[in-house]
Amino acid sequence: MTSPKTLTDRYVDAVLHRVPTHQRPDIERELRASIGDAVDDRISAGDDPADAEAAVLTELGDPVRLAAGYADRPLQLIGPAFYLDYTRLLIALLTVIVPAVAAAVGLTRGLSGDDALTVAGETLGAVVTTVVHIAFWTTLVFAVIERIPALRRARRRPWTPDSLPEPPSRRARYGELITLSVVLVLCTTFIVLSPVVSPETDANGKPIPIITPWWWESGVVYLFIVLVVAGLGFVFAKYYVRWSVPLAVAGSLVDMAAPILMLWLAANDRVLNPAFVQAIGWSPEAAGRVNTVLIVLAVVSIINTVLQGLIRARRG
Amino acid sequence: MLDDELLSVHLQEIRRGTVVLACLLILKQPNYGYALLDQLGRSGFAVDANTLYPLLRRLEKQGLLTSDWNTEESRPRKFYRTSDEGVTLADTLTGAWDELHTAFRTLKGES
Repeated sequence: MTSPKTLTDRYVDAVLHRVPTHQRPDIERELRASIGDAVDDRISAGDDPADAEAAVLTELGDPVRLAAGYADRPLQLIGPAFYLDYTRLLIALLTVIVPAVAAAVGLTRGLSGDDALTVAGETLGAVVTTVVHIAFWTTLVFAVIERIPALRRARRRPWTPDSLPEPPSRRARYGELITLSVVLVLCTTFIVLSPVVSPETDANGKPIPIITPWWWESGVVYLFIVLVVAGLGFVFAKYYVRWSVPLAVAGSLVDMAAPILMLWLAANDRVLNPAFVQAIGWSPEAAGRVNTVLIVLAVVSIINTVLQGLIRARRG
Repeated sequence: MLDDELLSVHLQEIRRGTVVLACLLILKQPNYGYALLDQLGRSGFAVDANTLYPLLRRLEKQGLLTSDWNTEESRPRKFYRTSDEGVTLADTLTGAWDELHTAFRTLKGES
């Protein structure tokens, strides 16, 4: 009876393989007895022994399912307790981080002078890699939580009506809308006028621009203005239109692009006009500090966009 | 005529939980897995073996059943018995069941 292995042996092995070691001897004895009882029952009812064994095992079903029952293991990757948290976090991460990566890779590649096809290819590649990473790691974390009973029981605080999406509190957000619009318009005006308006003039009485002429030579200034106008558009869109995934993706793309562009420009010392720095008698270190301040501002702005996106998605 | 699949889903919903109570009641007399499965089937509580066997271990882990190995016969069997705690739970569940029964009768009487 011991060799060759019977169907029952193979079935029991398949179950035991998937239950904790300390439970194995007990489960094995009980399972074998139960199978034996069921087979005997069928044989005494007139079944052929081989048929009886096969029928009993068929009735018991997939050994992996039975083992999951013994080990109290969920038969789902992410169950209903965590499903909503999972989808919320996943959407938040995707709608915030993917556009940021696309903007960063696209802009830096574009500015370093690669041709359009390379830029598009590199950006697309980075986007796909980011999506796959975010989806994989988020899913893995939740699947692990689902499988560790202590974590499963340490459920987050229960839902209360306080976490309902806020109705657009129009007055507060109207203030935000106006402030942002004014700031954006002032910045754009300053940039656009900077070639002709400056506190310093050269020997011929012509103004020395504060911002490096490289912006106009390379066309970066037009990109900047497009981003500012688009950003303004999304500020208004967020105010008047309901939150939706496409809007959130486009919004964070635009919100990220301007700071990233500024980051890149400041890091490559392409903000201040060297002639202007010289004219007002600053040392190169002072100009460097201006760049540092701009970099810090850009990073703060990027982090702020990410946090806002996460909060918005958690409530959504 | 009700669709078979829909019918079975609703029947399954209403039977969920009754197997636990039936086990606690039957196992006031010690018994082993296969015999219990047989008895449940005959008493009208249809349950699959692959649901019942893990369920017995879960109830044991929760302290509602106790178990002993009987090795006197040729085939050693694990006998389960409802613990004191299990008996208390069975009483509570029976009470809940009776309340539901009364509630349903009242509902039907009123309509």
